[in-house]
Amino acid sequence: MSEDLAKKHYRPVELSILRSWIITAIFVNIAIIPIEWLRTGDGAMLSILDVAILVILLMMFPEKQESAKRDFAILVAGVAMISAILRLATSDLVIFDYWARAWLLLPAAITVWWISSPHVSAWVKGTMTTETAAKGLARNRNLAPKLSALGIHIILLHAVVLVLIPVIWILDIAFSPGNTLSSALFDQFSTEHFSKILHGESFWIWLRNSIIVSVGTTILGLALAILAGYAFSRFKFSGREPAMFSFLLVQMFPGIIILVPYFLVMKSLGLLNSWLGLVLAYSVTALPLCVWMLKGFFDTIPKELEEAAILDGCNQAQVFRKVILPLSVPAIAVTALFSFLAAWNEFLLALTFNTSNEMYTLPVGLASMISSTSQAWGDFAAASILVSIPVVLLFILFQRFLIEGLSAGGVKG
Amino acid sequence: MVEVKFENVTKKYDDGTVAVNKLNLTVHDGEFLVLVGPSGCGKSTSLRMLAGLEDVTDGQITIDGNVVNDLAPGARDVGMVFQGYALYPHMTVSENLSFGLRMAKGDDKLSKDEIQVRIDDAASLLGLTEQLDKKPKELSGGQRQRVALGRALVRRPKVLLMDEPLSNLDADLRNQMRTEIRRLHDELGTTTIYVTHDQIEAMTLADRIAIMDGGELQQHAPPLTAYNEPANDFVKGFLCKHIDEIVETANNIFQQE
Repeated sequence: MSEDLAKKHYRPVELSILRSWIITAIFVNIAIIPIEWLRTGDGAMLSILDVAILVILLMMFPEKQESAKRDFAILVAGVAMISAILRLATSDLVIFDYWARAWLLLPAAITVWWISSPHVSAWVKGTMTTETAAKGLARNRNLAPKLSALGIHIILLHAVVLVLIPVIWILDIAFSPGNTLSSALFDQFSTEHFSKILHGESFWIWLRNSIIVSVGTTILGLALAILAGYAFSRFKFSGREPAMFSFLLVQMFPGIIILVPYFLVMKSLGLLNSWLGLVLAYSVTALPLCVWMLKGFFDTIPKELEEAAILDGCNQAQVFRKVILPLSVPAIAVTALFSFLAAWNEFLLALTFNTSNEMYTLPVGLASMISSTSQAWGDFAAASILVSIPVVLLFILFQRFLIEGLSAGGVKG
Repeated sequence: MVEVKFENVTKKYDDGTVAVNKLNLTVHDGEFLVLVGPSGCGKSTSLRMLAGLEDVTDGQITIDGNVVNDLAPGARDVGMVFQGYALYPHMTVSENLSFGLRMAKGDDKLSKDEIQVRIDDAASLLGLTEQLDKKPKELSGGQRQRVALGRALVRRPKVLLMDEPLSNLDADLRNQMRTEIRRLHDELGTTTIYVTHDQIEAMTLADRIAIMDGGELQQHAPPLTAYNEPANDFVKGFLCKHIDEIVETANNIFQQE
């Protein structure tokens, strides 16, 4: 009986993998329709046809004892291949055409190749022996993870390319001479934009302002957030729940709503065009998120640890300093990174509060390079790369903390 | 003479629930007392009040003749072993052991050399000499338990408190540590109060067991006396019947062979 079980349950892995790949291809081809529509109207109609062919192919997928269906599926896949090749032949052959047609051609070609193989043929016709079925099961176990990994990586590759395109573009503009936005990639090389930025005075002023404001924000914000997060996590006090809720509520408002009130407050305090004004505004804006993050972390530190420290003779401040703080280094580091980045990248408040080039932070300074009269795209691109470098370095430095769980093992097994 | 006395001790929470009701209990010098009872019976709360981790609503707790109701936990001279070990994850075993000594102030402050001697003593007593430089996460469950014990003992406390210290260990280790805890007590003679919900643990470890239920003390007596002469129906059901059932099960298994 056990051999019959293999025969009964065996289904070639190609069929299930192909099915998921074709479903993916259908979605990609649906996504191609509006893009084609934006380029030329005819392309969209043809793409709708492509989707239809793929849907028919999916419906014609053979099961066991469905030899006729299989033959028809091969026919449909062949039609899809021909359609893709014809469209390629009549298009202008930019990179998009290759990519879009590949999403029709390759699934169709693989379908023809796989389901016409003798192995699948035997299964579809039902002439497979028990022995081959048992071997097939082993083959499935071996092949399935590899094939599905291949599929997933192809999808992920798309995501990577999508993310990298702007970065590569910026790099190309920054390292090309002149002020062109579109030219062949990396055809000419020049560092003129970088030397212009680094030798100019403005960049260093903006950098100084950004560093002072970001570091100030991080220190002030963290000092408040650590204490507040600890209090919210450990102490019961009246107004605790409403306070935590209002912290969340403040987060819900779009930043633009508080822009004008902020401006008025800063004006009456005389803090426009000053570092302190920005530091205060940024700390306050970042505080709710930081407090919630740290509270969440403090919640995971067992109360027993604090009780042990109390019995060891610590007072509340010592418990906090000698036990809680050292354990929280990873969480504090991550929170610090977040508030630093928020301040480093912030644009709107910095633009509103500061009116002189002397007080601009990097994002505002960058924006000021693109005026209505002259677009210094090359300089702009070079500066934006320089602005990103500290952020990238910080991420590399803090990476260790992002994954480290220092608290593991102190309590229980 | 370290004597611990609960006199009419009551614990009432803000929401009105009474966790411990008028507890009167004296623990004699050098005695190993086990507080046993079902969960929610008030045994842990009593221990935590003694340690100073919970406020006493009413009544008096005295250690060695001193009322400790309002004394800071660190000043009561008690050592405690927690259920989850509660070792400081960022410190080595040696730092874990010495933390309490290093936190001591005034007259209690020890010199560096004295602290080192104490650490070495505790480590050799518990077989931890090889582990002193490791962090808790590198230790096995049994070793962590030993460190927790060592940390409680290294200050040479007047009273040693243990709150279900063995419930995180597997059966094998639990037996081993049970023997070890009893051996340590016989060696050091520290007055010990041990909280558990496990009747067998209570019977095998204790000089005297105190059985609690619903926040009230039901009976306190040496283990065999409590078993032979249960004071009321609760003790009969919780202790005698439970042990009889275990014995009966064991007998049935052996009869089948």
